[in-house]
Order: sequence, then structure tokens, then C-alpha cells
Amino acid sequence: MEPVLWFGWFRADIIAEYSELFWRGLAMTVGVTIVCILQGSLLGLLVGMARLADARHAPARQLCRFLVRWPATIYVSFFRGTPLFVQILLMHFAVLPLLINPVDGLLIAGDTAREIKQDYGALVSGVLALTLNAGAYISEIFRAGIQSIDRGQTEAARSLGLSYRQTMYHVVLPQAFRRMLPPLGNNAIALLKDSSLVSAVGLAELAYAARTVAGAYSRYWEPYLTIAVMYWTLTLGLAYMVRRLEHRYGRGDTR
Amino acid sequence: MDAAIHVEALTKRFGSLEVLRGINCAVGESEVVCVIGPSGSGKSTLLRCLNGLEEATSGRVLVHGVPVHDPATNLNALRTEIGMVFQRFNLFPHKTVLQNITLAPATLRNLSAAQARDRAEALLHKVGVFDKRDAYPNQLSGGQQQRVAIARALAMQPRIMLFDEPTSSLDPEMVGEVLAVMQTLADEGMTMVVVTHEMGFARRVADRVLFMDEGRIVEEGAPEILFERPAAERTQRFLAKVLPA
Amino acid sequence: MIRLPRGVRPALLLLVLASSTAEAQSRPLVVGSSATYPPFAYETPAKEIVGFDVDIIKAIAQKTGLTLKIVNTPFTGVFASLNNGDLDLIISGVTINDRRKQSYDFTAPYFEARQLIAVHKDSTVKSLQNLAGKKVAVVTGSTGDDVASRAFGKTSANIRRFDTTPLIIAELAGYGVDAAIGDNGVIAYRVAEQKDLKTVTDPTFPQEYFGIVVKQGNAALRTILNTGLAAIQADGTYARIYKKWFQAEPPVLPRQ
Repeated sequence: MEPVLWFGWFRADIIAEYSELFWRGLAMTVGVTIVCILQGSLLGLLVGMARLADARHAPARQLCRFLVRWPATIYVSFFRGTPLFVQILLMHFAVLPLLINPVDGLLIAGDTAREIKQDYGALVSGVLALTLNAGAYISEIFRAGIQSIDRGQTEAARSLGLSYRQTMYHVVLPQAFRRMLPPLGNNAIALLKDSSLVSAVGLAELAYAARTVAGAYSRYWEPYLTIAVMYWTLTLGLAYMVRRLEHRYGRGDTR
Repeated sequence: MDAAIHVEALTKRFGSLEVLRGINCAVGESEVVCVIGPSGSGKSTLLRCLNGLEEATSGRVLVHGVPVHDPATNLNALRTEIGMVFQRFNLFPHKTVLQNITLAPATLRNLSAAQARDRAEALLHKVGVFDKRDAYPNQLSGGQQQRVAIARALAMQPRIMLFDEPTSSLDPEMVGEVLAVMQTLADEGMTMVVVTHEMGFARRVADRVLFMDEGRIVEEGAPEILFERPAAERTQRFLAKVLPA
Repeated sequence: MIRLPRGVRPALLLLVLASSTAEAQSRPLVVGSSATYPPFAYETPAKEIVGFDVDIIKAIAQKTGLTLKIVNTPFTGVFASLNNGDLDLIISGVTINDRRKQSYDFTAPYFEARQLIAVHKDSTVKSLQNLAGKKVAVVTGSTGDDVASRAFGKTSANIRRFDTTPLIIAELAGYGVDAAIGDNGVIAYRVAEQKDLKTVTDPTFPQEYFGIVVKQGNAALRTILNTGLAAIQADGTYARIYKKWFQAEPPVLPRQ
């Protein structure tokens, strides 16, 4: 391919040569981010509430402490306390081969295991690691958000006869959600960028495309500048959506 | 015992601090009982024990014969019979006035949206805040908010209403409108327990007044007697400080 | 010109160079090597960097009077570091190819390499062509990457790229791919560690050569290194190092 130089030095042709990888990578990055944000938020909500679980009387009281609060706390501590990169590698090279293995997979074995591992192995590991990681950080956002709601709100709702679940659903969570939107938005943006780490286990997303081109040509400006611009565009878009959400749900809050 | 509320040897401890030291009292049907006393006397804690917002360290509270703090009791169901009004209103800021009132009846009493709204609007007329039904709580004055809070509690058609210093957070010019609503309720025969500093209200409306100090009921009786001729010295000292000269 | 005995000319050149480098060298030369690539370069438990590449560069340094500082650099960043001056040279199992020659300069070859395919013991794969349509793991930007890209298309979804050779072996062991392609030295070393894998040679794989990389235009350093390399080949040092790591006689290497 004839070198196409922009500004006299940027070899746009090597990007064009691998354009298919970049477009596929973009789709993969966007897809993985969306899926992991949604799953991570759901997980974060459950774990955040689990961290606050309590009961009035024994034995529910002890059950809450040892079977709900402790596991939740340990999970959050581990996934916030270890590097995401390590989690991704662990998931792909240690955990998943244990669970999905044609020879002796604990969860899935045989030919299905082979198919899954070959076609979706890196995707499964990546999504799992990112979801668990996001869930831990988001659970703290939910926990803090729920705890920031004045106790009087819960007292008023419970005094009316509403159950714990109804109180959460109608009174506490809607208010907490408003407050949590800014940090949740930040988390979503962080996740978008963190997804680049999954390229290390061979998932063909945006960073993987850049690595490939850099590996082939030993040139770094072109591929990495390209994906930097693409990531930047994506985060700007995400930040815009978060701002719209904050606007929409921002009315009515007294505090 | 056909008393609406029955309190037996109730004690409440927060850590090493004993807040209620053996309370014995009863509230009859349609009776209006006002609880007065200095701050820290345990008035609010006693009130909050009546609907289970506070656990009892020992002793019993019975509401219509049902033990409030018994694990076997369905507390949510019991609470639908008891309405509570808080010092800081505790209206739901993300819902309109109407939505605040219709939430519990629609969810718990299985009313249709229309039925719930009708009931809410009737109550809003009653408390005089109908024209603000689509506003949000932060657009209302304190007095209006508290009246909405009363309507919200009434929407569940409780048999007992508890008031925890309902006018203490209000500017003086709005106290009257809230007390007026409470007086209407009393006239209609609602069983009420009111923790308050409004001595005038207690004198006019209460059937019985309880004076509490340091976790105990020091003296109780009809307002004419307790305010005019208090028996205990502590009651006299408190009233001397609190009643206008 | 007087005809001098064979080793004298390089030895004379060495003397001149050694004396000039000794005074010219104010600081040690920084050598970049990705020490996750046994047997060429790797870290012992005592955090020492050892390997075939290390022994070769140390021998050359000894012959030419250079002092070295070896820095463990991840392969994906090693060329950028060379260009911006953090490294003076790279010896890290880098294959000499035309694409790289566009941007960098190589010394004469110091190792002959060919690609090797690693598969599971029960695999029926006999050649590169057998791998069409199958999933293949390679190290990003390596010769294996090149080979696979040429055969199956550089944007093929069947090519899975990883940062290091141990990772591609791990992926193969975990059944994430059907085969892994890499340099013979490293692949053989890794496969020997795994009971379940074997290697397959494809006769169509060309011979290739590893070279030491210097910044484009750095003719001075390149000449010094070439001289040193020729010297250790002449006096048997190269053969000794080769036997130490590969238990075989070294092949004759071309001069450029």
C-alpha cells in the first residue's frame, strides 16, 4: 500500500489497511460497555442493598449478618482492592478454564465448551471481570446513596405500613437514584475506558485493533492516536447522555 | 382491656443511656392524650415505641390488644391502623402532594388510582391544601407541608393518630392552621397521642395530659387539674418556666 | 593492501574501536529486552535477567569494551523506547523483516529462527494450511503474527493476538484456540513444560533471522555491534553460548 501521509508524517494508510479491525473493535467496545454497565448496575444495586441488610429479630438478624452482609463486604473489598487487569487475567486464564473446559470443565464440558471457549472465551472472561469489578464500585455508590437519604423518609413510609421493599422501591431508591447519577455516570465512563484492558486476553475490541497495527508496523502514533480520538468521542457522548438524565430526574429534590 | 393503647412497664435503653424507666399508661378509644415535659424526658421515644419505630428493652406495648414488639406480630399491618405525623413533616420530595397521599392507600389498600385520588382530594379539602395538590413539597410553606403530612397519614384511615411535636418546626404564624386541623380531628373522635410544647392546645383539646421527666411519667390528669393545680413539685417547676406568666 | 591473516583485521578494528568507545562512552549503553521470552531472555527468581540474547550481548560487549545496562522492557513498547532514546539497542528475539527495516536498522543476524506451530497432542494438524478456518494464537506484531496474517488475512477474526508467548501457550492449553504460532526457540521451550502439547514444523516456513536493533541512522553503534558479533563467532564464543542454550551446533549465519 502506498504510504498516505497526513501533515507530512501521519501514515493514515496503515489505519485504512486495518479499518475492518477498528470498526469491529468499536462495535465490540460499545457493546461490552453497555452490557457491563447494565449488569454492573443491577449487581451493584443488589450488593449495595445487601450491605445494608438487617432484621429486627433473631435468627434473621444473624442470618443477615453472616450470610448477607459479610459475603457482600468481602466481594466488594476484593474487587475494589485488586487491579482490574489482574482480575481479567485471573478470570480468563484461571477461572474460566476451570469452569468451561472440553476435558474437565466444572460448569460446561465437551464440544460445547470448546465452541464457547473458542468463539466467545475472551468475551465471557472480559464481560464477567468487568461486570464484577463495576458491580463492586457501583455497590458503594448505591450504599452511600441509600444511606444519604434522610432516615425520616424511611420512618414516614414504614409508619404508613409500607414494607421494606415497598419503601425502597417507592421512596428511597427514586430519591437515591437522583443523587447517584453523577457518580454512576463517572463509573460508566471509567468502564468504557477500562474495557480496553480486555484486549490483553485477545478480545477484538478497539485497543486490540491498535495493538495489532502497532505490532505489525512498529508505529505507535497512528493506531493509538486513532483509538484515543475514538474513545474520547465515545466518552463525550456518554457524558452528554448522563447530563441529560441528570436534568430529567433532577426536579423535586429538596436537599 | 378495651383501651386503644396499653403500655406496661416499658423501658428503653440506648446503650448505657436509660431513656424510658418503666412507663405504665393507657389511652382509651377517642381519647386525646397530650405528652409534655422538658427535652430529654423521653416523650418522643415513648411515642415512637407505640408504633414500633423504637424497640422496647423490656415491657410491652399493646395496640388494640396486639403486642407491638412481638416478632410474631405483623408490624406493617398494624402500622396501617396507626398514623404518625413528624416534627419535620417527612413528605416525599420526589412526589407531588397528591402522590404523597395516594401512595400508601393505592399500594396497601388496593384502591384503584381513581379511588385513591378521590380520597386524597377529600382529605386535601379537609386540611385546606386542595389548591396545591399538584405542587411538590418544596413549593409549599411549612404549615401547608405539615397539613399535607396529616392528610397523608389520614389517607390510610387509621384508628389512632400519633403526633411528634408537629408544630415545633413551624414559624409561629403557621402553628395555628395546623393546630386547627388537629382540633377538628379530635372533635371527630380520633384517638390521638400528641407530644407537644403547645400548652394552649393541650389545655383546650386534651382529655388527659401526661407530664414526663427523666424517662418517667411524673404526673397525669385532666388538663384543668394538671395546669391549674399540679401536684408534683417538678410539674410546677416545668409549668412555671413554660406557661406565660 | 597487505594481506593480513584472517582474524587480524577485525581484531585491529576492535582495538581502535574499543579505545575510542572507552573514552566516548560516558554512560552504559541501555539495552532493551523483553525478559519474558525464555530461552532468549527471562528473569530468574533472583530477579536476574538471563538467556541466550543476554549472553550474546554480554559477550559482544566484552569484546568491544562496552558497558551495558539491561532493562526489561515489554515488547509492545520496545521500539518506541528505542526511537525516543530511552534505549540504545534492542536484543529481544526480534526478527529481521522488510517492514521493520523501513523504520529501524539491524545488525547482522545472531540467530536463525523458524516458526513453529504448537497444538494439542491429539491434533491432526500437519501444516499451516491445515489451520485454515481454525483459531490461532500469536504474539502481537511477531513473525508468527505476520505468518498468520499473510495466510488468513490480517483482520481475520480467527487470529487471536496476545502480548507474550506464555499467554498464547496458556490460551492453547485452555482450549481457547486450536494452535499457537511462534519462534522455534521459545515455543519448543514452552511446549516442553506442558504435557498435553506438541510441536509441528511446517516445511514451508522460511528461515528467518534475529538481529540486534538500533535506531535508524545509528551507523556507529551498528558497526561496533557487527564487529563484536563477528569476533565472537570467529573465536568460538558464539558456539559455546549456542550449545549452552540449544544443545546443538550453531548453524552458519549469513553476514547480513
